[in-house]
Amino acid sequence: MRRLFIMPPQLFRIFLLAVGIVAAYLIARYFLTPPSFGEYGGWYRGAALAELATRDRVYAGKKACEECHGDEYAKLTKHEHKSLACESCHGPGEAHGIDPRKDNIDRSSYAACIRCHEANPSRPKWHKQIVSKNHYTGSKCTECHLPHSPSEVP
Amino acid sequence: MKNNVSRRSVLGKITAAVAGVLAAPVAKAAKTVTEKVLVTTEAPKNYDPSKHRWAMAIDASRCIGCGFCAEACKKENHVPEGPYFRTWVERYIITKPAPDSGAARGETLVDCPNGGMHGYPEPSVPKEEIQHSFFVPKLCNLCKHSPCTQVCPVGATFDAPDGAVLIDPKYCIGCGFCIQACPYGCRFLSPVTKTAEKCTLCYHRITRGLKPACVEVCPTQARIFGDMKNPVPDDPLQKFYQNNLLVSLKPHLGTEPRMLYAGIDKEVR
Repeated sequence: MRRLFIMPPQLFRIFLLAVGIVAAYLIARYFLTPPSFGEYGGWYRGAALAELATRDRVYAGKKACEECHGDEYAKLTKHEHKSLACESCHGPGEAHGIDPRKDNIDRSSYAACIRCHEANPSRPKWHKQIVSKNHYTGSKCTECHLPHSPSEVP
Repeated sequence: MKNNVSRRSVLGKITAAVAGVLAAPVAKAAKTVTEKVLVTTEAPKNYDPSKHRWAMAIDASRCIGCGFCAEACKKENHVPEGPYFRTWVERYIITKPAPDSGAARGETLVDCPNGGMHGYPEPSVPKEEIQHSFFVPKLCNLCKHSPCTQVCPVGATFDAPDGAVLIDPKYCIGCGFCIQACPYGCRFLSPVTKTAEKCTLCYHRITRGLKPACVEVCPTQARIFGDMKNPVPDDPLQKFYQNNLLVSLKPHLGTEPRMLYAGIDKEVR
């Protein structure tokens, strides 16, 4: 059969090389692109969303506390401190929820009260503040104030 | 025309055709093997990102600067020790103008010792010279046109369909372009993983129906979080949008943050 188009051999080799490079790229792309790439339309791996969602939590959330401490929870939600989460003062509680012990939850202290209620010129005026050294010389706020129901007198 | 079909050429063509047909399933099998090597995840499939639209807002007039949020964020997300924060609280102090200066107000002083986690020292100016002072919680601004995702060269950071701006830690090469691109300083390079990190809206919490850790522990509800596609009855976020005049940070940059603020001064950037 007579060749209709005769390509010079040096051009043919370059052409072959170019085809080889493109083919190698396509094969590599086929094998190396993760299956979820572009799953949600964007230029990213869709599986990353699910991977980020699988992490374990450290803070359990107010509802988890209510399961065992319903009485304290009920008291808290009726009084001035109702907007506080249990874990605001008591620290992260997921570990305590899995294995309820007294030593794996913050029992809370003077520092927790003072952190919000120490007077500070930057704090909004509606927020109740005290100058702790003029207010009371002892270290136990709970002698006079009940943190779960601040308006009640002990 | 001479017929030049030889036995050799016919056999060659048949072999090539068979090899071609056989190559497809072999390639597919090889691909599944490489996928197993490259992607190992046992992530759950029960969360549909297209059915949610998370959003957050800040009511700065309610912030008392206790720093619970910054502390909770560090613990919840295992943020490295030191000056690395996914959320932090800044203190603004605007002084009174000098007499006869003709100015409306004096200097603006901003500080944020240790992200606000352990309180603030006494202001550097006496109380009598302060005209205004307030706290501003800061975190990812959830930009509609996020500069950080535009500059990522490897597709590691992206706007998720549910409104969160996330980083794929397996794809991040730690080049730091996104850290430079974020006009709000919300990203950092983790010294532990050597990848960029930022607020994920506590993605592992919100996908399980919990609030982000900072919103959970905020004692005054200065941080408001919600789902725009599934508003709950008496939705705090919808109520916040209705009852407040809202601003965003650095609006001149055209990033269109979805993180909206109420009760902040023009000095806040």
